[in-house]
Amino acid sequence: MSGASAVNALILTGFGLNCDYETAFAFEKAGACAHRVHINALIRGDVRLTDFQILAFGGGFSWGDDHGAGVIQALKLKNNIGKDLLDFVDADKLVIGICNGFQALVNLGLLPGLDGDYTRRSVAITYNDCGNFRDQWVRLVPDADSPCVFTKGLGVSDYPVRHGEGKVVADPDVIERLVANRQVVFRYADEHGAPANGAFPANPNGALDDIAGICDPTGRIFGLMPHPEAYNHFCNHPDWPRQKAAAKRQGKSLEETIITGIRLFENGVNYMA
Amino acid sequence: MISNIEITLKQNLMDAEGRSLMKKANTYFGIKIDDARCINIVTVESDLSQDELETIRREVFTNPVIQESSLSPLDIDFHFCIWVGFRPGVRDNAGATAVEAVRDLLKKDFSAHENIYTSKRYCLTGADLTREDVEKIAGEILSNGIIQQYNVFSKDQWDKKIGADVKPAKVILNHTPGFDTMDIDTDEILAQISHERSLSLNPRDIPVIRGYFLDEKVLAERAQMGLSKPTDVELEYISQSRSDHCCHNTFNGIFRYTDMETGETTQENSLFNTYIKAPTLALKDSKEWVVSVLWDNAGVGSFDNENNYVITGETHNSPSNMEAYGGAITGIVGVYRDPMGTGLGSKLFMGSFGFCVGDINYNGPLKPPLHPRRLLDGVIEGVKDGGNKSGVPTTFGQTLFDPGYMGKALVFVTALGIMPKTVNGQPSHEKTTSPGELIIMSGGRVGKDGIHGVTASSKSFSENTPAGHVQIGDPYTQKKMHDFLLICRDEGLITFITDNGGGGLSSSVGESAMLSNGCEVRLDKVPLKYEGLDMWEIWISESQERMTIAVKPENLERFMALSELHEVESTVIGKYTDSGKLHIKYKDETCAYVDMDLLDKGFPAWEFDAIWTPPEARGLVEPVISTPTNFNGLLEQMLARPNICGKEWIIRQYDHEVQGGSVIKPLVGINRNIPTDASVTRPVLTSERGLAFSQSILPWYSKIDAYHMMAGTIDEAVRRLIAVGGSLDHIGGVDNFCWPDIGYDVVSNPDGKFKAAQLVRACRALKDACMAYGIPLLSGKDSMYVDGHLEGAFGERIKVSALETVQFSAVSLISDVSRCVTLEPKTAGDFVYVLGSTGDELGASEYYEMFDKTGLNVPNVNFSKFKTLYKALEKAIDTELVASCHAVGRGGLGIHFSLVAMAGGLGLDIDLAGLPRRDDLPLSTEKALFSESAGRFIVTVAPDKKQTFEKLCKGLPCACLGMVTDSHDRLNIASAGNPVADLTIATLDSAFNKTFGDKI
Repeated sequence: MSGASAVNALILTGFGLNCDYETAFAFEKAGACAHRVHINALIRGDVRLTDFQILAFGGGFSWGDDHGAGVIQALKLKNNIGKDLLDFVDADKLVIGICNGFQALVNLGLLPGLDGDYTRRSVAITYNDCGNFRDQWVRLVPDADSPCVFTKGLGVSDYPVRHGEGKVVADPDVIERLVANRQVVFRYADEHGAPANGAFPANPNGALDDIAGICDPTGRIFGLMPHPEAYNHFCNHPDWPRQKAAAKRQGKSLEETIITGIRLFENGVNYMA
Repeated sequence: MISNIEITLKQNLMDAEGRSLMKKANTYFGIKIDDARCINIVTVESDLSQDELETIRREVFTNPVIQESSLSPLDIDFHFCIWVGFRPGVRDNAGATAVEAVRDLLKKDFSAHENIYTSKRYCLTGADLTREDVEKIAGEILSNGIIQQYNVFSKDQWDKKIGADVKPAKVILNHTPGFDTMDIDTDEILAQISHERSLSLNPRDIPVIRGYFLDEKVLAERAQMGLSKPTDVELEYISQSRSDHCCHNTFNGIFRYTDMETGETTQENSLFNTYIKAPTLALKDSKEWVVSVLWDNAGVGSFDNENNYVITGETHNSPSNMEAYGGAITGIVGVYRDPMGTGLGSKLFMGSFGFCVGDINYNGPLKPPLHPRRLLDGVIEGVKDGGNKSGVPTTFGQTLFDPGYMGKALVFVTALGIMPKTVNGQPSHEKTTSPGELIIMSGGRVGKDGIHGVTASSKSFSENTPAGHVQIGDPYTQKKMHDFLLICRDEGLITFITDNGGGGLSSSVGESAMLSNGCEVRLDKVPLKYEGLDMWEIWISESQERMTIAVKPENLERFMALSELHEVESTVIGKYTDSGKLHIKYKDETCAYVDMDLLDKGFPAWEFDAIWTPPEARGLVEPVISTPTNFNGLLEQMLARPNICGKEWIIRQYDHEVQGGSVIKPLVGINRNIPTDASVTRPVLTSERGLAFSQSILPWYSKIDAYHMMAGTIDEAVRRLIAVGGSLDHIGGVDNFCWPDIGYDVVSNPDGKFKAAQLVRACRALKDACMAYGIPLLSGKDSMYVDGHLEGAFGERIKVSALETVQFSAVSLISDVSRCVTLEPKTAGDFVYVLGSTGDELGASEYYEMFDKTGLNVPNVNFSKFKTLYKALEKAIDTELVASCHAVGRGGLGIHFSLVAMAGGLGLDIDLAGLPRRDDLPLSTEKALFSESAGRFIVTVAPDKKQTFEKLCKGLPCACLGMVTDSHDRLNIASAGNPVADLTIATLDSAFNKTFGDKI
C-alpha cells in the first residue's frame, strides 16, 4: 500500500480475519497509508505498533470464532502485546473494531473502557436472536453528541451487517452508563431513521437498546458490528440503481449525492492528520 | 488426566440455539419442548495442573458477561439430557482452535497424548417428553451416526457428579504401518482383490494392469527396487487414477448412438473431445480474453490489463447425501482450493451454490439416508460455514426441489478467483515442475478420512457405500493457508501448485510429476493426524485443506519462514525427478515404483449403447387443459410453489458482500427479496470493472429431451447475464453435469441406453450453444451416478434416479459497473416492454407440473435469432436506454411480471394483446402467461428514451405492453382490454414469501 499521508493505519491480518483488503482500501481512499500486518508480525516485533496512528481490528472469523466471536483473538493479543495496546491507547491514538474486530475489542476490554479501565470485560456480543448468521443492510442513527471521533458530522447511515453473533448485551447499569456517557455511537434504526426499538429485521440481532456500535469515553476507540468498509463505492448500496435513477431526474450524478462509508474513515484519518 | 469444562449461557439470557432446536422438534416431529438449554463441553486430556485448568476455563472458555462455567457438571434442570460428540477421527475444528488458544496462553506445547475435544449437551424440559421423542431429536436433528455419537440421559439416570462423563474421542489404531504386495496371477484374483478393497477397478482395465506388472522389463526394473508383484500402494494409485471421478471415463468413452426414429447410428468417440474441448479450443483462438483452458484446476480469463480471473465449478453429492453438513462444507472449501491452485495461485473473490433436493415435506415410505428436509438444512449450513469463514462472498445461488433428488441430492459449488497477470515477472497462469524441485505439502494433516472418496462417488449409493469418506471441512486452516500462499506467490517462491482433492497425494503428486517426468516421495515424512496409517492410506487419503507445491531448493528457507509466520504446517515430502518413474518410499524401502506414463498404457475406453427414442414415440402428448377462470388464484398458487417462491432465508445466511466489491446482490428490489438475474462483483476495488455471474439449472426439460434441457439452461444463464449488462463479447461458461447411471444392465439399469442417449444429446446442445453464443468452457465437471436405492415400506429397495441435470455457470465482463441494471422498475410513467417471442412451449413447464402433466412442447432455443436480440439489448443497456431489465424464466411471463412488480413496488398495467408471438400464431391467455419460451425479457424504458429504444429494436420481437404506474399498487394484466388478473403487490408478496416465510 502506498500513500503520501502521514497517517499510518495498521490493519490486522491472519488467523481467519478476512476484511483486511477492503478495510485497507477504505483507509487509503480516506487518505491514510494503510498497512496489512499479520498478527504474528506484531507479536514478534517485526512491525512496531508505535509507527502507526490508527489500529484497525477488521472483520472475519478469527480462530473460526469457535469459542465465542473474537475471544481467542483478544486473548492472543492481550497475552502477547497487551501492554503495547494499552500504550497505543494512552498515546491518544485511534482504534477501530469492525464486526469481528468489535467483538475482539469488547473481549480485550478496550471497550467500553468505563472508568478508564481498558482491561475489564463488561460488554458481550453474542448470538443473534434470530438464531442465524445474517447478511443485510441496516440503517443506523448516530448519537450526534457522542464523543466518537469517527462519526463526527455523520447523519443517518446505511451499512451492511454480516454476522451470526452481533447482539450487544451487558448488565442494565452498564448500558445505562454507556447511554449517559454518549458512548452508544450507532443504533439500528427503522427506515425513517428512528431507533428500531428491537424490531427485527431493522435491529437484525436483538441488540439491547438497538446498540450497533459503541466508543470508549474518549471517543477514540470505536467498535461497531456493521461494515462501513463494505460501502466504499456508491454501487455497494442495495438501492443504488434506484438512487441513480432519482439522481438523474435531479440532473445530478451519484458521486455528488451519495455519502459512502469512506466518510467514517476520513473522520479518523483527519483527526490524526 | 481427563477434565471436562462445561460452559453455558447465564440462565437469564435467551438461548438462541435452544430456541432453534425447540422449533425444529416441533415443526419436524410435533414434539413439544418447554425449554432447551445448550451446554458446551470442552474435554481436555493433558498434564495441566488444576490451576492451569482453572485459568483456561476462565480466560479462554468463559465470557464473564454472559456465560457461567465449571470444571464439574453444571447443575441445570431437565427431564432429558442429550449429549452429542464426534466419533473418533472426525475433524473437531473447535477442539483444534482450543489447543491453539491454550498453547498460546500457557506457553505450553501439547505432546502426542494431549489434546482437546469439544462436544455438547442439551438440557430439555417438558413433562410430556418421552425417551422415544428424545431419541428422535438426538438421532434425527442433533446428530448423524456417521460422524457423531449421542447419549440420552433421563433425570433419574443422571449422576450430578459424573455428568455426561465425556471421554476423548481419539483415534487409537494400534497398527504398525506398512505396505503389502498383491497376488495378480489371474484376472479373477485381481477382480476379487478389487472387490475386497473397494478399488472399483473396471473389469476391462484388469488385464491391462496385470499385463503391465507381468511385463518382463517392468519386472526386471522393479526387482532392482526390491519389488515384484504390485503393492497395495500401486493398486490403490491405479484405482484412484482410473476412477470415473478422476479420469472422466464416461466423457471419454465410446457411445454407439442410435436414433430410433431415423434408425441412424452414429459413433461418438469422446464426448469430451468433440463437444467440450474442440469448441473451446476453437473459441480460444478467436477470443483474445481466453487465457488458459482445459488443463489446470480452473480456467483463466482476462479481467483487465493487470489481472486475470479464474473460475471453476464442482459437485459434492455423495458425501452430502450421507452427512449433509460435512459434505457441503467440504465441498465449498474444496472447490475454493481449485482457484488457489490455478496457475501460481489466485485470490478467491466469490462463490456460489446450487442445491437440488427432494420434497422437504415428503412423508411417504421411502427412506433416504437423510430426509430431504434435514439434508437441505445441513447443506445450507455447510456452505454457510465453509463460505463465510473463508471470507469469500457467496453472491449467487439456487435451490431446486424434485422427487428424483431424493435418490441423490445434488450440491453444486462454484468458485472464482483473481490474480495479477504476472507474478515476479512470470505469467501467473503458467507453471511446471522440474527435476530437483522439492515437493511440499502445506495445510492440514493426513488421516484416514476421505479414503475411497473418488471411487465411492463413481458409484451409485447403496447400503454398502463406505461411510468413511465423509469429512468436515476446516475453513479456518484453509484461510490461513490461503493468506500464506498468496504471499509466497507474490515473492516468486512457488513454481507449481495444485490442491489435494479427490485422490489426495496420489492425484496431486502423480499429476504434477508428469511435468518433470518423475518423482521420489517419502511417505514417512507426511505429517499425520494420528499414527498407524498404512502407506496406501497416506498416499490416497483425501484429508482436506492441503496443497501440493513445488519449490526450488534455494527458496525453501524463505518459504518455510513464511509458513511459520502464518502458523501453517508445511513439509517437504519428496522431490521431482526426470526418472520417468513414480517412486514412493517408506523410510528406505520402496513401496511403489511404476512408470509415469502407466496410465497411458492402453487402458480401453469405456463403451456405451445409447438409444434415442423421441418424446412422441415415448408417448408424450400435450395435456388437455381449458383456460382457467381464476387467474388471480392461479398466480398466487404458482408464486407459492417451492421452485418459484422466495428463498430469502437461505440467501441471507451467506455473506454476499465481504471483500467490499458487491454491485448487484443476490436479492434485489425495494424489499430486497427478489432473486437477481445475475450478481455483479468488483474483484479489484480500484477498478470500475466488474464480473457478472449467473447460473441456471432447468432439469425438468430433460423429461422431454435433454438436448433442449441443455440448450435452455445455457440460454437462460446467458440471458441472465445480458439482463444485468453483460456482453456476448465476453462470456465464459462452466458446465457441471449430474447424470444418472448410463451403463445399461437389463436388471439393474434397464433404461441406461436412453439415459446414455440423453447425455449425447445434451453434449450436442452444449457445443451448439457454445459455438452460437461464443462461449468457451472455462471449466467443467461431471458427476455420473446420481441414483439412489432407497429402502421402502417392506424392506425392498427402490431405485430413484435424479433427472438429467446440468448446472451451467456463466461469467461476463462488465466494463463500467455503474451501467449495470437491476430488474425492478424504477419510475412511474416508464413503459413496459416484452422482448423475445412467446410460443406454445409449456412442455415440462411449471404450469403443467402444477397439474402433474409433462406435455411435449419443450421450449426451443433459436440461437441465431436470440443472439441478434441479445446484441440489441446489450447495446440498449450500454447506452443507458433501459431502466430495468429482467430475463423471463421458469413460470413464464405470469410469474416474472409478478417478480418485477414486487421488486419495483409500483403498479404495472399490462395488456397481452400486443405480445410478440412465435410465428404470429394465436395463444390462449394461460399459454401466453405461462409458456416458458426462451430468449425473453421484461424491460422498462423511460418516456424520453422510448423512441431511441424502439428504433434500436426495430424488426425484432419487441412490444410495449403497458406502463409502470404509481396510481395504484397492483399487477393488472388484461388481454385486449379484457381483465385477466388483478392482484395487489402485497398479495403477490405474501404468496411469494409464505412457503418458507417462517424460516430465518
